[in-house]
Amino acid sequence: MSELAQQTPEGGTPIAGENPIYLKDPVLDATVRMVVELAAQVWIERERRMTLESLLEAQGTLSRAAIESFKPDAAQAAAFKRERARFIEDVFKELRRIPPTV
Amino acid sequence: MSAVPETLPALAERADAAYLDFVEGFREYILGKGADFEDRLNEALIAEQARRGQPWDDVEQIREYVHSLPLGRLRDRLSRTQQEMKWFALRRSFESQRAELLAELERYDARGPGRLELDPNFVHPPYVNVHFHLQPGGYYKDALSGYLYHYGTKVFFRGDNDHDELHAKLVARVPAPADGRVERILDLACSIGQSSTAFHRRFPSAEVTGIDYSAPMLRVAHRRAVMLGDKVTFAQRLIENTGYADGQFDITFAFIVFHELPLRIIHETVREAARVTRRGGIFAIYDFTGTRDKSPYQRYHRWFDARHNGEPYSQDFCDCDMNAILAAHGFEVAATPLGQRSGGAGYMTNWFATRV
Repeated sequence: MSELAQQTPEGGTPIAGENPIYLKDPVLDATVRMVVELAAQVWIERERRMTLESLLEAQGTLSRAAIESFKPDAAQAAAFKRERARFIEDVFKELRRIPPTV
Repeated sequence: MSAVPETLPALAERADAAYLDFVEGFREYILGKGADFEDRLNEALIAEQARRGQPWDDVEQIREYVHSLPLGRLRDRLSRTQQEMKWFALRRSFESQRAELLAELERYDARGPGRLELDPNFVHPPYVNVHFHLQPGGYYKDALSGYLYHYGTKVFFRGDNDHDELHAKLVARVPAPADGRVERILDLACSIGQSSTAFHRRFPSAEVTGIDYSAPMLRVAHRRAVMLGDKVTFAQRLIENTGYADGQFDITFAFIVFHELPLRIIHETVREAARVTRRGGIFAIYDFTGTRDKSPYQRYHRWFDARHNGEPYSQDFCDCDMNAILAAHGFEVAATPLGQRSGGAGYMTNWFATRV
């Protein structure tokens, strides 16, 4: 464990700092965090798709073929791009937590 | 389901709820049989103990051994990660609707039934300046602390307390005083008031008061109680120095607060509870079990939580003799083991003490 301990206001167990390294190599720590984060993102997408498919099917408003052939317009494309940036930030923000020296 | 008002704050997006739903499931997986860390690491610890031919002396030895195992280090990484993910998602979701959430609290502050008593001159003692459970801003520095805590504990209890089911169950187990008189109840460190409202439902004619040092928590507690139609007073006061009159309460209650207190404050709080609880009244405590007689893994887990989950005082609490402290301050304790999972990897127990 390479992080500095922080003393508490009144005794007890010194608490770990912001970015403890558990796996001896901070790159490995970041990799594990990214894998878990990716799993969260995959679940978010799957949950949304299941919701949408259930609604669409129940309402009889859309065929699967329409989804496959969908082309976003300019505004939609820009919104997708913003979402993509948020997705990448969520997963890969861990890279900023790898300290330059250990 | 009956139409129980949803008191959990709404998240900004469906994706936020799905993210936290994942964290809840992942938490269940790594704490339970999914990843099966507990049993496998405990077996390794017991085997190593046999190999060394002597029991584990202290938690430092256990820690060293767990950290020598890749599985132990990965378990720590994942435990920390799920907690960080929870707060990351909650903070982002609430931050994007901060103004609306604060306006919502303001709408409820002056409404009844029940009332909110905040102290504009309240001074926070230094020992509370900790980011308990890694909650950003701790329990009182962010005006949204109560909302963060509410959703955070929903994830912590892994679906067992979405509508205060656990609080209702634990409050139901608290014995009434032998003479049956229950007119006033005090909920110490009530946070968002889930036990307080459960007490109001169990004893509708009693006056229930919940106290806490955190104004943001108390505001959420009050909003919840108003939404639920439960008449409870929430007041900003210190549990170790409540300011209430001697012998004023028939039941004094403390749910998982003692492990968040330095030993000095544990003693002061028990002394204060003895002062404000009438003779024959009950002081009911739910909190973590001691770890001395627990498995090596449980002892390790307590150390990990203390150091890596913002619970700096919890080890001292688990090592102290609560029975002796209660007895020293005039309580008679009935031992009634609980064996309830705390929501984390640890276990809860209870002390039901009578003021003599």
